[in-house]
Amino acid sequence: MKIDNSLPLEYSTDQNQLNILGFWIFLGAEIMLFGTLFASYFTLVDRTGAGPAGAEIFEITPVLIETLLLLTSSFTIGLAVHAMRLANKKATMAFIGITLLLGLAFLGVEIYEFVHYVHIGAGLQTSAFTAILLTTLGTHGAHVTFGLFWGTFILLQIKKRGLTPETGNKSFIFSLYWHFLDVVWIFIFSFVYLKGMM
Amino acid sequence: MSELFPRKQVMGFVFSLVLTAIALSVYFLDMSFTTGMIILLVTAFIQAGLQLVVFMHAGESKDKGVIYTNVYYALIIALVTIFGTLLILLWDM
Repeated sequence: MKIDNSLPLEYSTDQNQLNILGFWIFLGAEIMLFGTLFASYFTLVDRTGAGPAGAEIFEITPVLIETLLLLTSSFTIGLAVHAMRLANKKATMAFIGITLLLGLAFLGVEIYEFVHYVHIGAGLQTSAFTAILLTTLGTHGAHVTFGLFWGTFILLQIKKRGLTPETGNKSFIFSLYWHFLDVVWIFIFSFVYLKGMM
Repeated sequence: MSELFPRKQVMGFVFSLVLTAIALSVYFLDMSFTTGMIILLVTAFIQAGLQLVVFMHAGESKDKGVIYTNVYYALIIALVTIFGTLLILLWDM
């Protein structure tokens, strides 16, 4: 394995560069996946049947809390990559830890929101609108849940093995995934919630 | 300690909070559907671009050409899917 020390840790080997490029191609497929979900959402948003419309069930407070939590976590994972480039293991781990806690808090609010929807009679089978709403939000939430496990394992690897070209590369790829989830949330926040409450 | 908070990323975070606040105006202020949608589209896409460039370091490696091509390709497919669906199923064209 040839290590090029003039490059940041995560790019320092050929394998690392290919891993990052490969992950970007995966993110391209994810963009298309969420594109199809948004297409279905916009098609079905007015098919509320006997169930409630978005404006009747959306609440601004939990949505705003979720948005701030995810935006801040996107910032802290960016700081983790910066600390990793400074070869500061302690700060890298601290920022990844903060990111995961913010992600967990986001998930907690989202689970509260889902329980609330089902409680007020807006479940998965209520109408075409509630079905696509919960599917779109749920797909994003499932990605966040997956990310929490992934991030935890990376944190354990950094603790055990330190900042090596491998762990640095994995941390960077995880940061790409996490920023991507924030981008998807921005679109959900704008075109599901704010558009629905406008 | 301050070296852990690079200016570029802190500014990026502040800017993303400002964009969120602007997007929120469609909820708190009274405006037409068209104006509201324009505000949401502009803030959401600037916000996405900000994440891509400032936080995801999309343009830093020698693969930047391939990375940007891939992202634009994915975006075009997603937008064609969304607007194609809207054209056929909602706008009856």
